[in-house]
Amino acid sequence: MASSDPRVAIARRDLASLSREKTIVLALLIQLFVAAFSSFLVVGLTSLYDPGASASGRVEVGVTGEANESLLRAIEETDSAEATVYRSNATAFQGFQNGAVDAVMIATRQPDSRISIQATAPEGSIRTTLVVVQLREVLQTFERQQRNAREAFLETPPVPLPGEVSASPYFGFTYTILLPLLLFLPPFISGSVAVDAITEEIERGTLDLLRVAPLDLVDIVDGKAAAMAALAPVQALLWIVLLSFNGINVSNVPLLLVTVGAMASIVVVVGVTLGLVMGERRSAQLLYSIGVLGLFASAVFLPEHPATTVAKLAVDSATTTTYVLVVVYVAVAVGLYGLARRYTRGLDVESL
Amino acid sequence: MNPRKLLRIARWEITKNAGGVDRRTVVVGALALLAVGVAAPYAATSGVTVDSGIYRAGVTNSSDYYPVVAEDPTFAVREPSAALGQDIDLRFDGLAIDGAPTSKAAAAQTELRSSVRAYNNRQMRQEENQSAAFPVQVSLGYAERTQVREVISTSAGQDSTGGEGSANGTQGGGNGTDGEPTARNGTDGTVSGGGGENIGDAASSAGGVGGIAGRLAGGNASGTPADISPPFPFQSLVLAFLFVLPLNFIIQAYGSTMLSERLKRRGELLLVAPVSRFDIIGGKTLPYLSAAVGIAAVIAAALELPAVDPVSVGISVLAVTPIALLFLGATFVGAMFARSFKELTFVTVTVTVSLTTYAFVPAIFTDAGAIALISPLTIIVRNLQGQAIGLGEIAFSLVPPLLTAGVLFTLGAGIYREEDMFTQRSIPLKTLDALAARVRGKWTVGLTTALLIPFVLVAELLGVAVLYMLTLVFPIEISVPMVLVVVVVIEEAAKSLHVYAGYTHRRFGSGLRPALVIGTFSGLGFFLAEKLSLIIQLVGLPQQLPSSQALFATGTGLPTIPLAIGLLLAPLALHVVTAAISAVGASRNKRAYATALVVAMAIHFVYNYAVVSISGLI
Repeated sequence: MASSDPRVAIARRDLASLSREKTIVLALLIQLFVAAFSSFLVVGLTSLYDPGASASGRVEVGVTGEANESLLRAIEETDSAEATVYRSNATAFQGFQNGAVDAVMIATRQPDSRISIQATAPEGSIRTTLVVVQLREVLQTFERQQRNAREAFLETPPVPLPGEVSASPYFGFTYTILLPLLLFLPPFISGSVAVDAITEEIERGTLDLLRVAPLDLVDIVDGKAAAMAALAPVQALLWIVLLSFNGINVSNVPLLLVTVGAMASIVVVVGVTLGLVMGERRSAQLLYSIGVLGLFASAVFLPEHPATTVAKLAVDSATTTTYVLVVVYVAVAVGLYGLARRYTRGLDVESL
Repeated sequence: MNPRKLLRIARWEITKNAGGVDRRTVVVGALALLAVGVAAPYAATSGVTVDSGIYRAGVTNSSDYYPVVAEDPTFAVREPSAALGQDIDLRFDGLAIDGAPTSKAAAAQTELRSSVRAYNNRQMRQEENQSAAFPVQVSLGYAERTQVREVISTSAGQDSTGGEGSANGTQGGGNGTDGEPTARNGTDGTVSGGGGENIGDAASSAGGVGGIAGRLAGGNASGTPADISPPFPFQSLVLAFLFVLPLNFIIQAYGSTMLSERLKRRGELLLVAPVSRFDIIGGKTLPYLSAAVGIAAVIAAALELPAVDPVSVGISVLAVTPIALLFLGATFVGAMFARSFKELTFVTVTVTVSLTTYAFVPAIFTDAGAIALISPLTIIVRNLQGQAIGLGEIAFSLVPPLLTAGVLFTLGAGIYREEDMFTQRSIPLKTLDALAARVRGKWTVGLTTALLIPFVLVAELLGVAVLYMLTLVFPIEISVPMVLVVVVVIEEAAKSLHVYAGYTHRRFGSGLRPALVIGTFSGLGFFLAEKLSLIIQLVGLPQQLPSSQALFATGTGLPTIPLAIGLLLAPLALHVVTAAISAVGASRNKRAYATALVVAMAIHFVYNYAVVSISGLI
């Protein structure tokens, strides 16, 4: 063996077994699938919602009722809606039924000077969502116009609405959902595999064989943990590179990798310790997945959720809190590792 | 199968493995769950948002926009004198807004629009004169359009592609055309920016479990324009998580138990006992299935908490059962195949991810009723919405996953034997073992092909579901052939893989004639089973989306073609011919099999394409 450090040998042996089984390929495929699916979900939903995204975004609205003129102005101001004026409600609904219009709006004046709109959208159609979104857009514009007309009766006038700009509808999703998902999935899987790496040796009884070699239990555990913890930042880097190929710029890459590394170390230490304590896969894995879920959920009590930390780093909006938290994660990782090491040292191997 | 023996093994499984092990597990697990339980309401009430502080706005408190930006957690307030583009994304100067020339600033400006709207609505609620503050009252209702046939848009937007008449199967719940112009009906006081614009809304709506069933039922919208929200699938997403999440923990334990049978030949004791392997598998699975069903029942009951209706809880449980079986079946096969613990972990994650995706289908296709029914979760959603659910819909939704789970268990049982459990065989060899265990002669070949139909169905439907979105993006000339390719590959593999497995295990005689006979039976089995599934499909779904019409084009022929006899004979001939070709290839060797399979796929594709073209889909 080229290396003198037994821990490196152990780590290399574990990584080799992963690549021999080709399971690491499966793991990457899963992550690719998750990424593809969540993007598909959002892109799909947005294309159903966002008028610009699909070709037939324009919604024809049949307008009728006594207050239709003011409503027409609101529809005019909305790019994605077109108005057709009908004389009566009956003809409007006829137009709705034969498909001339996608929706009907009946505008009537109320005694208290309000305007009441009765809107009808097609039921159970593929376009229902799109139509309703457009109707809401029209109605909100209408409300704003009417409010401005009644400004004299209001104590504080409404804040003016800033103009529309064309922006990617996926921007927020990419940085706040997709990227954290891609960065946290590798640590989660690493921890789970770390549980396996320990329990498998115990359950198969091969730990005794390892102990015959000139190795400490601490070295064995160290090597296994290091292999798994190191795998996560590598995968994270892979994702970041892949995202930047797709034109998504990720800032603060070194800090992100440090964060992912710290997270991976924390969950791997948790996993390894659970494996040693439980000594069998079933309860250790069960506790691991519930425990990590609990950790992730209780992270809401932090000033900033780890997902937000990652998002803020990646989108280059980091604050002092963000940097402090990264340091805290690293400190926690180191601290937990120290504790786990002490526990392992005090462990009687015969009892496993 | 002997129920008494099965129950005894189930009891062993509970006492030996699940029960006595240790209380530490239970205690620590309960503590972790408690942490989740404490954190979730906190996250829901304090409005923890993942996107907090991602946009930086330079604004002083003299600006009109200051309160807007300060109250929206998505924005971080900075000094306006900071460098635009580097330290801040938007700069406010009075009413003028300066944005950096980045995509981030553009996204921030879009976000600002919805924040302004939400802020204005909040401000207006404080106003004395409510009729001036909310001058528009809206009531939104839904109506069916019987005369309009839905046109799935292509880039041209106008060419009629047949397709779904406005879904008569889906009775959209709670259509509130009650045009009462009363003040806001105050369903919940926290209308933030009018539903669904903020990612944070997802988190906050995920919290209040108790209210979910109620919110699902109240689909009507009346109030101010901001109260209107499109029929958004959030509830389906939340439900998918609620019902699917416990299954993930259950399969963790289940996979470990099954794999641990294979360690140190532990399972040998049971294998040599006077019980069948189905007793063993059934007995070991039963406790986990009961746990899954029990948890589902508790969740379903909790969702309707004020007034629990046993019938509707029963329907929810009925719908969860196939999903649970599918999870367990896939994990079982995974545990039989896995070579190590690590591999089982990856398999478990794969099962989790892919089946959760499957459960999510209704969330994506809520509006397209027929496609959404692929996932049994749709039944649960509709059940909670108080809609009537037809038997046909239940059959369409539940039978394919149920059969698929059955096939998975059967395949896994094929390698629940000494030779495969305790040795390190390669995965392709094990696959062939699992398939070969089912085939003995021409009849069993036909039967196995028929058994694989649910697999084929689920795989094809999933493929169609994924490709369905492409019909929105690509013109139909490209998307339909893509669907056809998926269909052809899946069907031809299903018709021939076990035939090849049988040949590698020397189950059939060599020579051309036996190969042709076996191929014929395989094609026949496929044809019959497909016809059977077609009946379910016709009962459940009178109207189909164009892409799924393409999918079933092989079997059905489209009703527009008048040659009734030809309709029945042509697909039969096709299936028999292609299956025979690949069977002949399989009888020689691996390479011949691969070549023959490609030839069979090509023939199948040409046939399908011709049918689709004749029927005028393209």
